[in-house]
Amino acid sequence: MNRFDLLNKVQNILKNNLVICNIGLPSQELYKISDQPNFFYMLGSMGLSSSIGLGLALSQNKHVISIDGDGSVLMNMNTLATIGNRAPSNYTLLIIDNGSYGSTGDQRTFTDEKTSLKDVALGAGCKNVIECSGEETVNELNKAIDDKDNSYVIISKINSGNVKIDPIPLNPITIRDRFRKFIGKVKYL
Amino acid sequence: MKISKKIIDNLKKGGVDFYLSVPCKLLANMIDILENDKDVYYSAVPREEEGMGICAGAYLGNKFPCIMMQNTGIGNSVNAIVSLLQLYQMPVVFLISYRGTPGEPVGAQGGMAKITEDILQTLRIPMLHCSSEKELDKISTFSKHAKVVESPVAILCDFNLMKDDK
Repeated sequence: MNRFDLLNKVQNILKNNLVICNIGLPSQELYKISDQPNFFYMLGSMGLSSSIGLGLALSQNKHVISIDGDGSVLMNMNTLATIGNRAPSNYTLLIIDNGSYGSTGDQRTFTDEKTSLKDVALGAGCKNVIECSGEETVNELNKAIDDKDNSYVIISKINSGNVKIDPIPLNPITIRDRFRKFIGKVKYL
Repeated sequence: MKISKKIIDNLKKGGVDFYLSVPCKLLANMIDILENDKDVYYSAVPREEEGMGICAGAYLGNKFPCIMMQNTGIGNSVNAIVSLLQLYQMPVVFLISYRGTPGEPVGAQGGMAKITEDILQTLRIPMLHCSSEKELDKISTFSKHAKVVESPVAILCDFNLMKDDK
């Protein structure tokens, strides 16, 4: 199973939640599978999906899923400490760990060598850290969302590999405004 | 404490209700005030760039965020500012302790101080430079300005303004 297969499998869960989706191929693949106003596609700032989702979860009550990658988490590992200490129960971090920098040509990341993001997350203070296969991810995501008392970090171990895909044609302000409109707190949208 | 209280009062008056900080000794009093303020969210974060991301999320959730940091933090955050906050036009207040300005005892802070305003200018980020107490009165209007222009804005507080705020 690669990232595109996994996103296909979890798309119905994503549709019912606020989603912050990582820059590059993850966002492009998700956009191709199903474009939704409650999907915030990152067009820049690699590494910050987990952090954007955390800020969003702290600011309103709907459940937030941050879709991140192993390469991106390695770039912003300090945020696991912030998540471990501050994440509210409406927050799930889904790390799609394919051991490679998919958007830049599938170069290997350190999770394909010695680094365990599960161990890093546990050491950083995250309590509910699940490492699972791509097939198990739907089930683990549902459990995380149903648990109204705890936040989760789910590390989905899959194969590398990408599908051929175009950049997202949406304007950043369109992405921003329809996402904020979906949340429903801004009167002028 | 008087200066720090005035800054926080003005930020709150400007509508800021979500605060992060990467600590600085010049921000210590403000952090104390915010930790005891039940009306707003406050947390420390390990790194400024990450804080930019959390602020972006808070804005999406309809909060008005502020990140407090040393001017060195701008150096850690340039891509996040340009490719996230500015790309999506997100208002965030940067409350910056301006280390390396006159009065600073640590020579190494001088390097970033010399280029801080150049960086902010290059990024086209509106600046409010506070070197005396009377300038603090402009903070609430300046914060509201961030929302009007949908942009991050920077408030720079000089070393000498903050250092005796016991």
